[in-house]
Amino acid sequence: MGNFTLGRYIPLDSPIHRMDPRAKISAMLVVLIAIFFPAGWIGYGIIFAVVASVIVTARLSFRYILRSMKPMMFMMVFLLVINSLVMKTGTPLFTLGSFTLYSDAILQTLYIVVRLLLMIMITTCLTATTKPLDMTLGIEDLLKPFEKIHVPSHEIAMLISIALRFIPDLIDETNRIIKAQESRGVDLKEGKFSERIMAILSLVVPLFVSAFQRAEDLANAMEARGYAPGEKRTRYKVLKMETRDHLLLAGAFLLLGTMIWLAYFR
Amino acid sequence: MAIRFEKVSHIYSDGTPYRYVALSDVDLELKEGKMTAIIGQTGSGKSTLVQHLNALLLPTAGKLTVLDKVIEAGGEHKGLKELRGKVGLVFQFPEYQLFEETVLKDIAFGPKNFGVSEQDALKQAKEAMKMVGLGKEYEERSPLELSGGQKRRVAIAGILAMDPKVLVLDEPTAGLDPAGTKSMMELFRKLNREYGKTVLIVTHDMEQVFGYCDEVVVIENGRVRTHETVREFFRDSSACKAMGVLPPDVITLKEMLIAKGFQVPEDVMDTDTLAKVIAKQVKHHG
Ligand SMILES: Nc1ncnc2c1ncn2[C@@H]1O[C@H](COP(=O)(O)OP(=O)(O)O)[C@@H](O)[C@H]1O
Ligand SMILES: [Mg+2]
Repeated sequence: MGNFTLGRYIPLDSPIHRMDPRAKISAMLVVLIAIFFPAGWIGYGIIFAVVASVIVTARLSFRYILRSMKPMMFMMVFLLVINSLVMKTGTPLFTLGSFTLYSDAILQTLYIVVRLLLMIMITTCLTATTKPLDMTLGIEDLLKPFEKIHVPSHEIAMLISIALRFIPDLIDETNRIIKAQESRGVDLKEGKFSERIMAILSLVVPLFVSAFQRAEDLANAMEARGYAPGEKRTRYKVLKMETRDHLLLAGAFLLLGTMIWLAYFR
Repeated sequence: MAIRFEKVSHIYSDGTPYRYVALSDVDLELKEGKMTAIIGQTGSGKSTLVQHLNALLLPTAGKLTVLDKVIEAGGEHKGLKELRGKVGLVFQFPEYQLFEETVLKDIAFGPKNFGVSEQDALKQAKEAMKMVGLGKEYEERSPLELSGGQKRRVAIAGILAMDPKVLVLDEPTAGLDPAGTKSMMELFRKLNREYGKTVLIVTHDMEQVFGYCDEVVVIENGRVRTHETVREFFRDSSACKAMGVLPPDVITLKEMLIAKGFQVPEDVMDTDTLAKVIAKQVKHHG
C-alpha cells in the first residue's frame, strides 16, 4: 500500500504537464482505442515507441511505471496458467505427461500482457501529468455537449474530482488504521481463518466510519460556502487549447489511423 | 537500557519523487522506568520516531534496540509481534481504530491477539477500563456512539489491557478538555511510578512536560536536538523561547521575580518553595 503509485499525480514541470487536460484526455482515449486493433507486433512496437517518447518528455521514470504494474503480476501468471490449459493451437513446444504446451498459449498471454502494459503506460501519462483539478475541468468540458441529452456534466465532474481528491486520503487513512491495529497485535499476513476475518473487520469498520465522517464534513463545508448543484457557476481557471495541444490530438489520431491501416488494409 | 537508537534514519517513499527524509542519524538512549517527553514542531518527525519503537516503521539506516530486540536496517525481522505486545503504542487520535460491537470487546481485542484466553482478556479489559476511569455502565455500549473523549479512553484502555512494559503515547491529550487532560496525565504518571512502566509521551504542552516527566527529548528537522532532564531543560526559559513555545507558568514567574530584584536560587522550581523564598525576602525588607 505504501508504494501505491497507480494514478497518482507527480508534480514535475514538463511540456506534457503544461498541456490542456482536454487534449490529453481525448488523446489518451484515442490511443487506448488504437491498442485494440489487431495491428500485430509492428503496431504495438510503434505505439510503445510513441508512448515511451511521451513518458520521456514528461520526465517520468520507467521504473516508476513498472512498479505500478506489480499488483497485476498475479493476474498475469493466472492468465498464463489458464491459457496453457485451454489453448491447443500453434506449434507444440513441449510435452509433460498428458499435458502439451502450445506456442499460442504463450503468444496470447504475451499479447494481453503487452496490451495491459501499454494501457498502464498511457493512463499513467495522463494521470501523472495532470492535476486532479485540471482533470475534472477537462472532463466537465468534454461532457458539455452531452448536456443536451441531460447528462449532468458538472455533477459528474464534481463526483469524479471528489473521488480523486479522496483516494490519497483514504490510502493514508488505511495505512494509519493498519498500523494502529498492528499495534494491537493484528497480524495481516498470518493467522487462522477466523483471526484473518477479525483482522479484516478491524480495518474495514474504522475505514467506513472515517469515510462517512469525511463525506459528511465535506458536504457540510460545501453547503456552508453556498454550493448548490445545478446552479450556474463561473470558473476561476479557463482552459485554452494551444498549438501543441492540437498537435497532440493530431498525433493521436494519426496513430489510430496507422493501427487501422496495419490491421485491415495492408 | 530500555531503548537505544544508533544512527537511525528513516526515509519515506525512497526512490520516488515523494522521497522524504523524516529522521536522520538519530542517536538516543532511554532508560527503563523513566517518563520521557518528546517535543518538537509539527512535522519534525516525532510520530515517525515513536513508530520505530514497536517496529511499525523499520529504520532505513542504522540500528535500534528496544528491550532485548535488535532491529537493524535491511535485516530479516522475526518476532515483531512479540515486541508489539511489550511496547504499547497509542496513536494520535486513536479513537479512529475502534471497531467492535461493545467497548469491553474492543478493549479485549489486543490481549486476545497476543494469545491471552478469552476469559483473562475480558478480565484485563475490565481492569483497564477502571484505570482510565470508564465505569461499568460503558462495558456493553457501542464504542462508535461515545463522545470523542470517551472514545479516546477506550482506545487507551485497549493498549493498557495488553499490559505492555513500555507505553508510548503520541499526543494523547490533543483535543481533550482540561479536566480530561489532567486525569489522563495523572494516569500516565501512576502507570510510570506505581506500575513501573517506561512511558514516552509526545506532547506540545510544556506544563505537562514540566509537571509530569523526568526527561525531555527535543526533535528538530528529524534530528535529536537536545536530550536532558526536565530540571536542566527548564533551568530558565531560554530553551522554550528558542522553540517558540510558552514556558511553564512557574518558570515565567520566577524570571519575573528575578527581573524585579529578588534573589531566587536556581534549583527552585515549584510554587511552594518559590512562595517561601519570596516571603522570606519580603519580611527582610519589611
Ligand atoms: N507515510 C508518509 N509518507 C511520506 N511522508 C510522510 C509520511 N508520514 C509522515 N511523513 C512526513 O514526515 C515528516 C514527519 O512526520 P511526523 O513524524 O508525523 O511528524 P510529527 O509527528 O513530528 O508532526 C512530515 O513532514 C510528514 O509530512
Ligand atoms: Mg505527529
